[in-house]
Amino acid sequence: MSSYSPRQRVFALRHWVGGSFAPYVFIAPFFVFFLAFGLFPLLYALRLSFTDWRGVGVPRFVGFANYTFLLTDRLFWESVQNSLYLWFFIVPVQTLFAVLVASLLSRPLLRFRWFFRTSYLVSYLVPLVAIAQVWKVLFDQDFGAVNYVLQTLGLPAVGWLTTSTWAKPTLALLVFWKSSGFAILIMLAAIQGIPRELYEAAALDGANERKQFFLITLPLMRRAIAFYVVIATLAVVQMFAEPYVLTQGGPYRSTTTAGYALFRYMKHLELGLGAANSFLLTILVVALSLLMLRLLRVREEA
Amino acid sequence: MAVAQEKRLINARWGRPECLVRGLRLGHVALYTFLVVLAFFYLYPLLWMAVSSFKTGPDIASRPLSFNVSDATLDSYRRLLQNVPLHIGFKNTFVVLIFKGALTMFFCPLAGFAFAKFRFRGRDALFVFVLATMMLPPVVMLIPLLLLMGRLGWVNTYQALILPGAVNAFSIFWMRQQIAEVPDELLDAGRVDGCSAWGLHWRIVLPVIRPALAALAILTFLDIYNDFVWPVVAVNTIRMQTLQVMLSDLYNQINNMQVGAIGTNAWGQVLAASTIATFPVLILFLILQRHFIYGILAGSLKG
Repeated sequence: MSSYSPRQRVFALRHWVGGSFAPYVFIAPFFVFFLAFGLFPLLYALRLSFTDWRGVGVPRFVGFANYTFLLTDRLFWESVQNSLYLWFFIVPVQTLFAVLVASLLSRPLLRFRWFFRTSYLVSYLVPLVAIAQVWKVLFDQDFGAVNYVLQTLGLPAVGWLTTSTWAKPTLALLVFWKSSGFAILIMLAAIQGIPRELYEAAALDGANERKQFFLITLPLMRRAIAFYVVIATLAVVQMFAEPYVLTQGGPYRSTTTAGYALFRYMKHLELGLGAANSFLLTILVVALSLLMLRLLRVREEA
Repeated sequence: MAVAQEKRLINARWGRPECLVRGLRLGHVALYTFLVVLAFFYLYPLLWMAVSSFKTGPDIASRPLSFNVSDATLDSYRRLLQNVPLHIGFKNTFVVLIFKGALTMFFCPLAGFAFAKFRFRGRDALFVFVLATMMLPPVVMLIPLLLLMGRLGWVNTYQALILPGAVNAFSIFWMRQQIAEVPDELLDAGRVDGCSAWGLHWRIVLPVIRPALAALAILTFLDIYNDFVWPVVAVNTIRMQTLQVMLSDLYNQINNMQVGAIGTNAWGQVLAASTIATFPVLILFLILQRHFIYGILAGSLKG
């Protein structure tokens, strides 16, 4: 029975897996990288989230104390609230805007289409930090160009980045500038995927342009819209770099997003708490994605 | 008959001819005005950044909107290069681009090939696993990864900047989609000629999917060049800062070198640095626009 030579066993194993070991070798790097830089750090951090550890010494096991602390912490909820507030400013507005602009851009006979499309997309490529620095200068309270224009028009100067009322809208405007071109591109691709015959048939049935938009374009873009809403939502919840460069989470923590809150714990070396916050954020993100996907499915059936 | 139908079609879409004169002209003006204003909204901040970088800081503050060509000065650039070691940022970003880019461009198509064109035990389950890892929010990985780097003693090293995320699920997923389109007959012909699995990949698959590879390269370039969140966490000395991290830290560095140059005095230099950092991406975009749009659309499948 066990008189097979090692060579024969390898041969049998190879036959069993499908004739070749090559595909396993080809996909192995991903799994090695994922184990090293994904799974292992996650498990390590999970263990750490049940301890009190500030970067030195021995982690002290504290059970769920970090989680209960965060869930009853005003600052934690404040950061979640800030993210939701920003979501409201960014995602619905940007999505509707992108659908509108994309449908204008895909009108037949539009001239300079190439120019418009290109100029809207350029902002997506610009490094975030570079444009955030420009924003900081443009929206400076005392010497910024925006307030300069306002004052020339006889209006009062606004503390765009220095008052908690205005910091969020200014941040949202930066995000809008940076990512709405991308949204437009997605919507454009979705519109281009709609068969032209549908419009021709609708035109023959006497549907005008507005009707065509509401009865053909919009329904057939639903998937693209839902898709964009999901990725934009995830991006807003995780937003970190924008408030980091523009406002450092201030003034009065008004731009401390859920993502930026993590950074605060890192900076103060409250690593156990930070790890716990990471996992709470993961739960939030996964829950939001599932919710969005659920909404998408419901709509598709309707 | 056909002509009449055509006419009805055009009428339905664009209104009756007599309306074309009044209603639609006005509509056209509104449409183009809107599109131009929008283009202005996107382009003006960039234009303003580039133009203002040729002014001095106090000049930007006192007259933000005017620009005399005769007053143009390279003063901001000169001071910037004196105060901030931008060449270090460029060098570090370049090193990361080369190595991380090479890892992505080498391993991701290879794994995509295995998933697309081989039958092997556990393939579907493994592929679902790869897709599932895309659900992990990147920001959530920051603290765990930082802890790992601390344990390995990798804080402030190139390994820390290069390795995490180099072989990523999204690129594999996208390469699989692209390679699935390669006709099986080509691969069979290769097998008949005695190509090994590696030979099939190298001699047949890669040459066939070259446009997709170009798009992947551009996407990878953008991701690495613009990456900020992980580098700012993984690095805390100037020596290892990437360009973007250095850009975020400008005011500190300018102030260290040139005491009192905070606020408006540093603005010229800040805008000069932003212009320099934006330039490579814009140039590449203008040269390779088609690939860029293809690549970005591919990237939109992410998440």
